[in-house]
Amino acid sequence: MKRQHFSALCLLTAAVLLTACGGGGQAGREQVTTLSVLGRKSDMEKSYMTKLFRHYETNTGNKLDIIAIEDAEFEADAAKRLASGDVPDVFMHFHNADLSRFHVEDNFYYLNDESWVGDLTDSARAYCEDRDGNLLGLPFWESSVSGCYYNKTLLDSLGLKPAATQAEFDMLCQALADIGYTPICWPADGCTWMFQFGLDPIFADHPELLESLNRNETVYAEIPEVTDMVQWVKNAAENGWFGENYLRTGWSDISPVLGRGDAVMTFIWDTWFYTDFVGEGKYTVDDFAVMPVFMNTADEGTYEGGNLNMMMVNKNGKQLDAALDFLRFCATAENYNVAFDGISTVSCFKGQTTNIQSDMVTDAKASISEHERVSTAATRIIGYSADDVSAAFDSLLRGKTDVTGCVEMMDQYRIEEAREQGIEGF
Amino acid sequence: MKKWFGKWLPAFLLGIVGAAVILIGIVYFNFISQRIYEDSTDHLEEIYGQVNRSFRSFIDRNWGILNGWGDSFSLTSDEANVRVADLIREEQGYWGFSEFYFLSADESCRTLDGVESSLKLEGFWESLMVRREPVMAGESIPDGQEVTVFAVPVQHGSYEGFGFDAIAISYTNADMAKSLNVNAFSGKAKCFVIHGDGTVLLSTQTGGNVFSNYLVYLKAASDLNEAKLSQIQKQWESGVSGIVQCKIGGDTCCVLYQPVGYGDYVLLSVVPWNVVSAGFLGVQKITMNVLIVIFLLIGAAALAFIIWRGHNQSRKNRMELQYRELMFDVLSSSVDDIFIMLNGENQSVDYISPNIERLLGISMEEAKKNIRVMEKCAVNYDVVIPRGELAAIPIGGNRYWECEYMHQTTGERRWYRMTVYHMSIQNVAKYIIVLSDRTQEQQMNQKLQEALTAARSANEAKSNFLSNMSHDIRTPMNAIVGFSILLEKDAGQEEKVREYTHKIMASSHHLLSLINDVLDMSKIESGKTSLNVDCFSLPELLEELNIILMPQAKAKKQSFEIHVQGMPPEQLIGDKLRLNQILINLLSNAIKYTPDGGAIEFTVCELTQTAQQYAKLRFMVKDNGIGMSEEFQKQVFSPFSREISSVTNKIQGTGLGMAITKNLVDLMGGIIQVESTPGKGSTFTVELSFALPEQKDGKSWLTQQVTRVLVADDEEEICRDIEELMRDTGVFIQSVTTGEAAVEAAVEAHRRGKDFHVILLDWKMPGVDGVEAARRIRANVGTDVPILVLTSYDWSDIETEARQAGIDAFMPKPFFVSTFWQTLEPLFEDMSVRKEEKASAETGAGVLEGKLFLVAEDNELNAEILTEMLNIEGAKCELAENGQEAVEMFEKSEPGYYDMILMDVQMPVMNGYEATRRIRAGSHPEAKTIPIAAMTANTFAEDVRDAMAAGMDGHLAKPIDMDAMRDLVGRLLKQASDAAGRTTGKGDESV
Repeated sequence: MKRQHFSALCLLTAAVLLTACGGGGQAGREQVTTLSVLGRKSDMEKSYMTKLFRHYETNTGNKLDIIAIEDAEFEADAAKRLASGDVPDVFMHFHNADLSRFHVEDNFYYLNDESWVGDLTDSARAYCEDRDGNLLGLPFWESSVSGCYYNKTLLDSLGLKPAATQAEFDMLCQALADIGYTPICWPADGCTWMFQFGLDPIFADHPELLESLNRNETVYAEIPEVTDMVQWVKNAAENGWFGENYLRTGWSDISPVLGRGDAVMTFIWDTWFYTDFVGEGKYTVDDFAVMPVFMNTADEGTYEGGNLNMMMVNKNGKQLDAALDFLRFCATAENYNVAFDGISTVSCFKGQTTNIQSDMVTDAKASISEHERVSTAATRIIGYSADDVSAAFDSLLRGKTDVTGCVEMMDQYRIEEAREQGIEGF
Repeated sequence: MKKWFGKWLPAFLLGIVGAAVILIGIVYFNFISQRIYEDSTDHLEEIYGQVNRSFRSFIDRNWGILNGWGDSFSLTSDEANVRVADLIREEQGYWGFSEFYFLSADESCRTLDGVESSLKLEGFWESLMVRREPVMAGESIPDGQEVTVFAVPVQHGSYEGFGFDAIAISYTNADMAKSLNVNAFSGKAKCFVIHGDGTVLLSTQTGGNVFSNYLVYLKAASDLNEAKLSQIQKQWESGVSGIVQCKIGGDTCCVLYQPVGYGDYVLLSVVPWNVVSAGFLGVQKITMNVLIVIFLLIGAAALAFIIWRGHNQSRKNRMELQYRELMFDVLSSSVDDIFIMLNGENQSVDYISPNIERLLGISMEEAKKNIRVMEKCAVNYDVVIPRGELAAIPIGGNRYWECEYMHQTTGERRWYRMTVYHMSIQNVAKYIIVLSDRTQEQQMNQKLQEALTAARSANEAKSNFLSNMSHDIRTPMNAIVGFSILLEKDAGQEEKVREYTHKIMASSHHLLSLINDVLDMSKIESGKTSLNVDCFSLPELLEELNIILMPQAKAKKQSFEIHVQGMPPEQLIGDKLRLNQILINLLSNAIKYTPDGGAIEFTVCELTQTAQQYAKLRFMVKDNGIGMSEEFQKQVFSPFSREISSVTNKIQGTGLGMAITKNLVDLMGGIIQVESTPGKGSTFTVELSFALPEQKDGKSWLTQQVTRVLVADDEEEICRDIEELMRDTGVFIQSVTTGEAAVEAAVEAHRRGKDFHVILLDWKMPGVDGVEAARRIRANVGTDVPILVLTSYDWSDIETEARQAGIDAFMPKPFFVSTFWQTLEPLFEDMSVRKEEKASAETGAGVLEGKLFLVAEDNELNAEILTEMLNIEGAKCELAENGQEAVEMFEKSEPGYYDMILMDVQMPVMNGYEATRRIRAGSHPEAKTIPIAAMTANTFAEDVRDAMAAGMDGHLAKPIDMDAMRDLVGRLLKQASDAAGRTTGKGDESV
């Protein structure tokens, strides 16, 4: 009987406990917040992003509604959604010319006053700021250093050393060309990033020029350094420094050309060596090192800081506070270190400790530190479009126009784009 | 043999001399090259020997300076050392070094400013500190600069607490390079100080240095092999200088190496060979150029001699050949035969007589290049120059072909007999081709043949014509005669009399139209037809066509639609009568040869015309009738051509209509085309140009206060056309596409007190049609607004209903502004009066009643018929047998006695024209005003024109049609009445 009483008591206790637990659970579910996060599919599927999303859900009990749009449709689809008022709580986008179509000032919250801002590296913060110094988003991305990556093994075997000045770089190119090597792998077919490296020093070192350009008070054609850069590219092509088939060289050709040692240098970023360089030829990633990019606009050369994906917060959303909390969660050292654990990248946060850096970048740390400039042309020049600039250079390199014509085309395309964006003064 | 020797001896000697000159040149060139090389390398060694010495003295100077300072440093006094340091600081600018260092035996170092630094000295620490030797070493300092450090051991001392055992100064490599720079080679020389293993210490290159190890670079970039490079390295390591020529990146360079004399340092210079030997090569080049010029002069002289001799000989040969050719050319130019000589192997032309250009239009040069060019003018291509058959002609034999050629420029045809002779001249096969002109003979034969064919054809045509005419005239005549017999027999039976007379009339009309056609055709073909060109209205023409042809189409339950595409001009200058004839012929045929229920479509559009004052119009008649075979389409415009089929055989026709149409179109300078598919229908297209009259001021719509018009048509295109056509009138057009919308718009305008001034409604619209819409508008708006119905259909069936519904007038489609105005004008003036006039005009009955005519007619039978017919109409007449009698009768008559004169034209004694002229010129009070109408079987436009020119007022075609007479008489009498009191009153009436 006693045994029966004990069993009944146990059952009663268990029932009370279960009820209590259940009630608590019910209360917990009522407080669950679901945030919508919209971004490009391949970006959202990066391992550190998925790890971050899981980490957030596990630790906060909140939910994330990940809206991953196919890469090819992302820009158009996202623009359509936002234009129709379907703005997600958190929107992920790079700070480039395409961002202008999303009416950032109307849709997104300036994060200047957030507590984590001080933890951002200078270059990461500079990248995410608009022209007025407003912080548009939280940079949460792998970051890489763009520079002139060269085959050090090959260079050593030729008794040559990397250049430290523009003059040395030109000498190096000529010395390589003289003995039958293609000095620079120049993927003119569809790769459009090289030109911003040359423009960065002009506008990063002379903000007043940038301002003047963005007020439409001056044009590229009036800035001698721009013409110098265009002239250098033309001369380099004519001197054979890009090889013979550079107009037909595209993204997929860079890896084999460098791997076989047909070309010695290329203007690219370190992460590329870990994501796209196959090393199918004679040389592997260990054979490469980095020196500054020289495009006749900075005698000491330049490196470009990383291009970062930012998380922006819908300022008109009902869940503004929750979205800001989400960003605060992401910007906490213990959380971002979980996400970036073992990832090869340059740090966005000062407290980032678990990521690893490529030997190439580590070896050139002093040089990078001295000559790195934040990505300026692509992010700060109103109306800048890598495709447009590339189109102007394409005309130049195919002999359809001269240096002056190329600069004029760059201006024309830039101004047209600015007008399309409805920028005042254009 | 002797002759051969004599002929070739000069050339042989010349060859020997040439070879000797070349040999001497080569030897001399080699000698000079060797001398240049030696002198150049000597020069190079001398220059870089000086550089090396200068560099060595630079090293010695720096060590000397350092030793001087070293001696000044005190072993014990730190303060004294500070003073020395101050002195060094002062002298730094003078000597140009970049930094001063205190070095400790433990390999630590400090700058003069006490900044801790780090120098590796490339492993020379032991030499410096242990063996106490002065050293020179390359360094990369932390700011990235490349420097060269000079150090000397000194007595141990202390500077600001830092114990030192050696002192050093450094120069940036850029500054060092200045001391090595060699300006003798225009800055194109590279100069390096390298270690024994090739590692570059410093370079003189402006802007920097990219070589880390030049020995390695030479290995990769030059054509020096490893053994040679190893040998060179061994030489400089053992203190031996040297110079070597090699290729670097495609350029020949001199690489000169001279040990510096300190450590393993070597001064290495690389100078492009063309720079080194620039001066010497210039001398060599001049020498070589002089030699070449001399050789060329000798060669040229020898060549000139040979050429002169050869030329002399060949000139003789050429002269002889030219003489022969000239003779042959002169000979051939006077005949029409062509001579050709071909090479048997490749058929290239050796000779061709120049008359080929005159006879065939091919230039000699062209023919000489390729004889096949003659194929271009060959009419019978296969026998031009028979391929493959030439070889079949045995040597010494010949063959001939008959050929026909056409002159390339004039198109003139010529006939030739081409005879080919196969010959062998000096064992080379040759073909001599003679084209013997047979043109005259051929032309004569052809003419005879053509004449024979023409005669046969004419005979056949005549037979055909007679046969056709016999058949076509006999057929209706047979009916007339047959039914006349029956009429006589059954004269008492009223029903049969009516039937027979009806059939006789039908056959008579057919016979008449046949005769008219034949005469028309005959006149056109004889070229006697001329055009009566005047201004006419296109809308009127289309309306007339619609009036004439719509009943015919309707009788066969066919749809008949007239479309006007674009905006052709309304007023044109042309022969309206002939154009009418063309179009009626085409449209009648379309109706005739389209089965019941078919569709006839008549489209008018304006084509692009280049001349400003002309308009080119296209008239297209399309039916879905029986169509024509392709074969018949070719002869559709030939006289008496009718396609024979079970269908056409039942349709009456003369077979002359299309021939007349074609001739008329030709006469008007136009074109006519036909496209047809049997069983599917035909499309006839006529394109004609018309002159345009000068633009006159349009009707004043505004003066009639017409400013707003409502248009309703379910076809938006028609609405747009009307808007476009009315644009220049200043009238606002409101268009709607349904009857309901029209009612709504009219009612709304009425409500606002702004009624439309005219409402134009399409008859057939889906939903509320035009008539119903008009009824509703009248119910709401009243009767003040004129309502017109626009339709392409025959409105006679609905006219009563429409007028009851409130429609004031009908307008045929297509819409023309002028038609619109003409329709509206009477409505605005006085609709009731106009209606009465129209009613009166329509009835026409009784117009002849009580009238007295003076009839001039020489044919008794015709006179009797006319008298009877006039009697039937209640009129009377008095007959004159010729023109003279008519003139006299009129002159004698009292004014007002005769109402009108009917004048035959062809009469004995005096013809109608002359009689009219006499009457008009007479003294009778009514001489100028009495209406005179011609009665004649001559119905051509020029007959009407001649009648008018003679002073007549109208024209009646024989046989007389009483309806036409009533119409003409009515109008002429009214005209005369209106013009009473005036002396002239001629119109232009023709029926």
